[in-house]
Amino acid sequence: MNNILALAGVVIKELYRRKDFYVLFVLTAMITLMLGSVNIFSDQTIVRYLKDVCLLLIWISSLVIAITTAARQIPAERESRTIFPLLAKPVSRGELIVGKFLGCWLACGIALLVFYFFFGVITASREHAWPWAIYLQAVWLHWICLGIIVAMSLLGSIIFAAPSSNSTICFVVVLGILFAGGHLNRVALGMHGARGAVLYALYYLIPHLEWYDLRELVVHDWNSIAWLPWIGATIYGLLYAGFFLAAAWLAFRRRGLTL
Amino acid sequence: MSYCLTLSLLLGCFTLATVLEPLFSKMPMREGSTPSVLAAMMGDSRRMFANHFFAQADAYFHSGFYPTIFDTAVPEERGHLTEAREDHEKEAHEGTFLGHPADWIDRFGRNFYPTVHTHLGNGQEGEILPWLKLSADLDPTRVETYVTAAYWLRTTLNKPDEAEEFLRQGLRSNPDSYEILLELGRIDFYNKADTRVARNLYELALQKWRRADSVGQKPDGHIYEEIFGELVRADRKEGDLKQELADLQELLKVSPNKDSLRQTIADVTAQLSRPGTQPQR
Repeated sequence: MNNILALAGVVIKELYRRKDFYVLFVLTAMITLMLGSVNIFSDQTIVRYLKDVCLLLIWISSLVIAITTAARQIPAERESRTIFPLLAKPVSRGELIVGKFLGCWLACGIALLVFYFFFGVITASREHAWPWAIYLQAVWLHWICLGIIVAMSLLGSIIFAAPSSNSTICFVVVLGILFAGGHLNRVALGMHGARGAVLYALYYLIPHLEWYDLRELVVHDWNSIAWLPWIGATIYGLLYAGFFLAAAWLAFRRRGLTL
Repeated sequence: MSYCLTLSLLLGCFTLATVLEPLFSKMPMREGSTPSVLAAMMGDSRRMFANHFFAQADAYFHSGFYPTIFDTAVPEERGHLTEAREDHEKEAHEGTFLGHPADWIDRFGRNFYPTVHTHLGNGQEGEILPWLKLSADLDPTRVETYVTAAYWLRTTLNKPDEAEEFLRQGLRSNPDSYEILLELGRIDFYNKADTRVARNLYELALQKWRRADSVGQKPDGHIYEEIFGELVRADRKEGDLKQELADLQELLKVSPNKDSLRQTIADVTAQLSRPGTQPQR
């Protein structure tokens, strides 16, 4: 466990040493503040568009941070050959995978807290309200979603040759699931024969990342969701992250370390 | 040598810019377009996005309960933003376009997005305005955007001046729009109580509608009926019974509520035939 935590600590330090997070945060803040200063028919109470854009930017930024951070972890260790002394500590390959995952996931969590705090401040300055329950649920589910994505990217970093190709494929898959994942069943029902059956199977197979996107509920001031589905989505997300980590470990177990 | 080459390239670019810039600035703008940053950046493709942002305003009006491209039907036949101006009561029926959940993933997934059909109210209608403003910036020739935004501004949001300013902006891009003129007239009639100006605007809207009809543009017949409806109200407020009767008879030709209109015409005729009733105007 100590090895895992030590590895995670190194990844977290990497997040605040690199410029990615700062650049994305400043961009998000600047765009949001700029939009907030726009005069919409002299009405200062209009806020939903601002929440919508800010949350969209937070989601984009968090996806960039999660995928790029996770995708480069193991390839960077292999490229700089630091993976040899690391595994000689001794740190098992399983611990390496879990440590890298935990580090990336916690780093994403820290970034999310900063982003959502900014979002909360901007929203509260206009709405004079702090609906903490839905905010808590939104941040938590967002973080769980990033856990699945980080685990998926780690698996990709072992399967695919270069971090760039892994990142691109992960972005395409994640955006595809977020956009169309929940609708594949309807598309499959419109198809006949084997194609429809394959698509329906895929619908059950993919991790339903769209569940973790509570933006519509937050933007339009809906009440918080029931806690049972919230717990269910958390367990589902952790299971999927566990599956990807297990697959990553299986793939990494017998993989050569030289490039 | 390399410095000289770089410098001569820079000088070449500068010279070319001084020649080309006046030429580009003299190029004729397309009808209805504005020389905005968006227009410069996106060209004509911005009109496509204008429709998207108008739909986004409708989605906001339904607090996010809105069909995606994967859903087969829209919530109602006509979008609420464009339909006849009537009060909307909060509805709470699940599945106008969602239907019954197809499987457990679908059922479980409905916990995480809005599934109840509601409409914005209590002055929150202003939340749709940023998207309408953006839609108008992207496509200044889209008349529906101006009329919809102006309706909410002048009614529940009580901002007739902003509504008028926005409509005038729309009129500059669409000088033949009878819909915008009708809405401008309504601001003067309902918000500013200036019946004379309102009547002039209604008459101008009527002229524009008839002109569009005469050149075969097939203008919206419902708007024609609305113009006469507003003219009748203006006549009534001015106490001009003779003109009211004339407008009612025109309205009778196009209105589906012929029975009630005939009754109104009979009442006005009776008032006119009463001794001592002086037709004004």
